[in-house]
Amino acid sequence: MKKFGITGLALVSLIASCGDSESGAGGDGGAGGEPGAGGDGGAGGASAVAIEFEAVVGDELFVCGETYDNLGANDTSLELSDLRFYVQDVELVTASGDAVQLNMDESEWQLPNLALLDFEDGCGDLGNEPTNRTISGTIASGDYVGIRFKMGVPFTENHENPSVAPSPLNLTSMHWNWQGGYKFLRIDSGSVSPTDWRMHLGSTACDGDPASGGTTMCANPNRVDVELPTFDPATDVVVFDFAALVDGAALDVNQEGTPVGCMAGPMDSDCAPLFDNLGLAFGGSVPVGPQTVFSVLQGATLPQ
Amino acid sequence: MRTLPFLLALAVLGVGCGSDAASGTSGWVWDLPEGIPEPRVPEDNPMTTAKVELGRFLFFDKRLSGNETQSCGTCHEQALAFTDGLALAEGSTGQIHPRSSMSIANSAYAASLTWANDVLVRLERQALVPMFGEDPVELGLANMEEELLERLRDDELYPEMFSEAFPNQPDPINLDGITKAIAAFQRSITSFKSRYDRWQAGDPTSLNESEQRGLALFLGGPNAAGVEDAFECFHCHGGFLFSQASDDAGQVFDQKFFMNNGLYNLDEDGSYPPGNEGIFDMTGDPADKGRFKPPSLRNIGLTAPYMHDGSIATLEEVLDHYARGGRLIEEGPNAGDGALNPNKSSLVSGFQMTEQEKADIIAFLNALTDEDLLTNPAYSDPFAAE
Repeated sequence: MKKFGITGLALVSLIASCGDSESGAGGDGGAGGEPGAGGDGGAGGASAVAIEFEAVVGDELFVCGETYDNLGANDTSLELSDLRFYVQDVELVTASGDAVQLNMDESEWQLPNLALLDFEDGCGDLGNEPTNRTISGTIASGDYVGIRFKMGVPFTENHENPSVAPSPLNLTSMHWNWQGGYKFLRIDSGSVSPTDWRMHLGSTACDGDPASGGTTMCANPNRVDVELPTFDPATDVVVFDFAALVDGAALDVNQEGTPVGCMAGPMDSDCAPLFDNLGLAFGGSVPVGPQTVFSVLQGATLPQ
Repeated sequence: MRTLPFLLALAVLGVGCGSDAASGTSGWVWDLPEGIPEPRVPEDNPMTTAKVELGRFLFFDKRLSGNETQSCGTCHEQALAFTDGLALAEGSTGQIHPRSSMSIANSAYAASLTWANDVLVRLERQALVPMFGEDPVELGLANMEEELLERLRDDELYPEMFSEAFPNQPDPINLDGITKAIAAFQRSITSFKSRYDRWQAGDPTSLNESEQRGLALFLGGPNAAGVEDAFECFHCHGGFLFSQASDDAGQVFDQKFFMNNGLYNLDEDGSYPPGNEGIFDMTGDPADKGRFKPPSLRNIGLTAPYMHDGSIATLEEVLDHYARGGRLIEEGPNAGDGALNPNKSSLVSGFQMTEQEKADIIAFLNALTDEDLLTNPAYSDPFAAE
């Protein structure tokens, strides 16, 4: 099993030069018109940015199909066979606290305000080989010291017809049709059977209007707010830690009559510690605090 | 309540047709009796004969399951008014569904789909649940969308059928087309040719005396004890659909609703067996425990066993359940008195019922069976003869 360390990470990061002409025109703080004038600190232009993500389990890298030990409250072992999540509303934050939106490039992994991060490589039945650890886009040039984003799918995209959705919203394994939306987060273990521990998270308690056919609200949006105040996009990596997600959760215990693990059911008490760790309200309660699953790995080196 | 519109002959119109029907662009003509509204049809999925016919093939095609062992029609058999006779449905991988297969007849009029789901209001979207759902696995197609499309593209008939159903699309074999065609087929399965409907159309011979008495009791007429509306049936099972949770093309308001009818009462919260507690499973609100959609009673004589979990075998026992005002389960994991469920609808308050009244109501319910539905070739399995 691979040990996780700074040197084990290949990083792509801030490319301090021009954005392309289409997406470089201004951005939130830009003066408009002039694409790509800025490098670091250049005012009024736009810069291409690549935000790196990595998935770990404690001090080990996440590897699809690996078994990890000492997880949760009862030191459970799990063979992890899927780990994917959507990210929306990525913003970089300046030293003075201004948040500036990242305009994502469009690709098979990204829509203008949505990206799929995919750490599974097809080791499980419901996955596929390609992986994605990067969110790329352009942003108004500036000095950024922090990052914030949501794990989720924006409301509009979440409730549109998935049958005609573009990539990365067209993966049926990320659809959550009975809830009328998407799985924002999908984690499976074992052979992805009903007896294997799994976590699927998305908006719940949504409504539907027979006349319009649409969803107007979800009582439990379940989008995870992530704020990482110290983050240098040039050198740092956003880390998702499965061990932190299940910290305090009894993974070998299941509330009777509920799915093994957590399908985000507001009645499934197995979800409570996981929601706590994600900073989400569970079962009508208020969040116990900010999320503790995402963190920053600092000081990784730029690639040559 | 009995209405006497124009005579039967006026009401029966042919399905579809016209010389341009084969092109898939023809207008669609609903085969509905007088007094039945047209169903709501989404603007982006107009009805055509070509699309409905494609949907019929897809609905009954076992290639629409991951392991090619089941089709939609496996759990929705025409001969049983599109149910399967099982208490709990069984998926393509053998996983037992927590709920009983519902009739899809008249599903075009359902204000919400499935037994208890606030969000599913379109057949196109609902079709994705059995196809791709993982918990429980039904057709078991999750992550197999490309293989599914390949299966259909490699077929002898489907490429042409899809082109006719979706004439202006260069590559019509896609998920959107599949769900639209299946939804159109389901929407086409209307069922308003029971003896009760003939009675409504003005044929006084269509219901016998027992059935007529049952109808009167169902609609709130006094029972033998002199109580008006003793049985309270139509408050939940009223209207042309015999479910108040109905929708149609002219409906402005959201009529979906969910009721607790006192089947279980496991604890002081009124719990139902865990994992199958109605819309509580979606909302987490304890007041929603045990709240399910009142299904249409059309063809109810064919869709046993009854209730969301198939836990009542016969209509006689269903009436006994309502007469008691809830079900008493004396022992076992589900022990409890459903009559005392705190979430129970006030309409399920129990009643006195003579054996004759019981027989009459059941006779009436059986008169809601539409024999034509069961044999109509337009709804039949095109692979059955193979």
